Amino acid sequence: MTETVAQKPKRPLPKSRVMVAAQTAKVYQDAWDAKARGEKIGWSTAIFPQEICETMGIPVLYPENNAAAISAKHLGDDLIAYAEGQMRYPMNICSYARLNLALAEKIQDPAYNTADPLLPSPDFVLLANNSCTQLMKWYEQLSHNLNIPIFFVDCLFNYDEEKPAAYKVTYIRKQIESYIAEMEKFSGKKFDWDKFLEVQKRSQINSKLFDDIIQLNTRVPAPVNGFDFFNYMSCLVLCRGKESTTEIFKQLKLEIEEHIANGTTSFPAKEEYRVHWEGIACWPNLGHNLKTLKNYGVNAVINGYVTAWNIVYEPGNLDSMAYAYATSSTNSLTTETIMNMRSDTIKKFDCDGMLCHVNRSCKMMTFHIFVGRNIVEEKTGVPCSNFDGDQSDSRVYSEAQFETRVQGLVEIMKENKEAKNG
Amino acid sequence: MLTMGLDIGSTACKCIILEDGKNILGRAVVSSGAGTVGAQKVYDEALAMHSLKREDLGRLMVTGYGRFSFETADNQKSELSCHAKGIAFLMPTVRTIIDIGGQDAKALRLNAKGMLDSFVMNDKCAAGTGKFLEVMAGRLNLQTEELGEWDAKATEEASISSTCTVFAESEVISKLSMNVNLADLVAGIHRSVAKRVAVLAYRNGIVKDVAMSGGVALNKGVVRALGEELKTEILVHADCQLAGALGAALFAWEELCKQA
Repeated sequence: MTETVAQKPKRPLPKSRVMVAAQTAKVYQDAWDAKARGEKIGWSTAIFPQEICETMGIPVLYPENNAAAISAKHLGDDLIAYAEGQMRYPMNICSYARLNLALAEKIQDPAYNTADPLLPSPDFVLLANNSCTQLMKWYEQLSHNLNIPIFFVDCLFNYDEEKPAAYKVTYIRKQIESYIAEMEKFSGKKFDWDKFLEVQKRSQINSKLFDDIIQLNTRVPAPVNGFDFFNYMSCLVLCRGKESTTEIFKQLKLEIEEHIANGTTSFPAKEEYRVHWEGIACWPNLGHNLKTLKNYGVNAVINGYVTAWNIVYEPGNLDSMAYAYATSSTNSLTTETIMNMRSDTIKKFDCDGMLCHVNRSCKMMTFHIFVGRNIVEEKTGVPCSNFDGDQSDSRVYSEAQFETRVQGLVEIMKENKEAKNG
Repeated sequence: MLTMGLDIGSTACKCIILEDGKNILGRAVVSSGAGTVGAQKVYDEALAMHSLKREDLGRLMVTGYGRFSFETADNQKSELSCHAKGIAFLMPTVRTIIDIGGQDAKALRLNAKGMLDSFVMNDKCAAGTGKFLEVMAGRLNLQTEELGEWDAKATEEASISSTCTVFAESEVISKLSMNVNLADLVAGIHRSVAKRVAVLAYRNGIVKDVAMSGGVALNKGVVRALGEELKTEILVHADCQLAGALGAALFAWEELCKQA
């Protein structure tokens, strides 16, 4: 006899999430359509001056975003195994890189359709090293394996300075100007500076809107489950200069304001604790992360990763734009600068603790976590806990270890709250 | 009023019965861990020792790896907080605790009130855990309980350079084939564990007094090697193996008091 278990109906997705899915599908479809027409399409690192290709109407897709989506759907393991086996890349390199390098080879077979979303093969790659130094070798491999050109914007690391020196800004601006000229030659399309200004303005509207949305979560209890931001940040990665992103963010803002007006939240439990999430999402284990946090009433109300895509500058001012690309990723800043920013955010968002993802793939982010947590603990007085995981490689994560670390953090936060409240 | 703390570890289950949050009335240890009959067995043994029934317990708190699967428990708490609580009760001057469990190793720091302040745990690797010692003891045809005695007989510590449990086991096999003295090998194994765990302790910051908790603390060889690595005396209480269970029983008592 088969026992019938009543399934709890899934909550329908809010309209803004449906719009995100539709926008993402359209971006991919546009790239496939352009490819079918024989036009050139590109792949780009996540924090590259995307305004240029947007202005020129050249479709660009983002392997980091794509790898995250594939991993979240638990479709990444076979690609990672292929990269490590047939392609001979070691497991110590970034798992986004392993997954994507394997995918780049697999999609050369027109019959391949396992990954989702599926990318068309690129005709060029766009590389900025502001968020990660491994990107340079990853994109070099893509360029070599596919025999396609790299357009490279070299962003210098900002040692001993919170603001990059003027020569660095000039260096990046000159590269952007040179890149525009090279892309005109490569694509055969004329660069329209008036349209560029419009795209820049749109990028700024979208960045400002996203920041406004994030700030709404300073409310206690928060109107948004912090993990939701992982979904919406893709709009800034893929479509920072598009009007459709503005529409999505306006809708999202409306939904959040509705939550605030009604005293409701998208966090699926009573918010007992608020934490700052440090690091990239653990995409293959996002479900377990959220389930565990929910069980302990922990809302990761804010994280530094989702705010990395707010590229804020003055439209029409290339120096300002260059400055923004030199500083938008915290990986281009010193540990002390990053942790000062995190400490300010923790105070502003009234966090009770910090949960740090020791991401095996991301050496840059992992490097500062152990030293950084001491800075945060000292400056804010909140406890921090680390857990091991990976952005795409599911082998690194342990459910039991994650739960024990979260529970330990919760127990300290509870004691602290009780001590504070007498 | 009686409370019970049950620590369902991955390799052993420990139980404490506490009277009025002060006096340890009963202790029990069973050498089988989560997922076995160990939890039920240690619970039954502890009750039977004092002719008690479940109804005699004011509250039952469970901790350890198997803490989510003991149905008659009133509540569960992480082993982190429970070890901190238990050791603070047994040795109030302690500020740093190192607990080597069956499948994890942790360094805990307590504040002046004896409350857990911060912690660091091992990554997804068996090196530096009780499992590492268990595997090595098996390869040497020894019981894990015998390792401490063999360590005391060592004259020249054998070097075990591999971090990975499997490779370290191969190294041990290789040294056995070269007729390396058994006691020296055991001492080398203890050094390997101590080096790995010392990293966690340093990372979390060391404040004196320093103590070990958990069953591995009964192994004098590990305590010796860890003391040398941390360059400090390591305190070990006779009830170190039961510290987690004791902490759980103390938390149960606190919850009981709050209810009242």
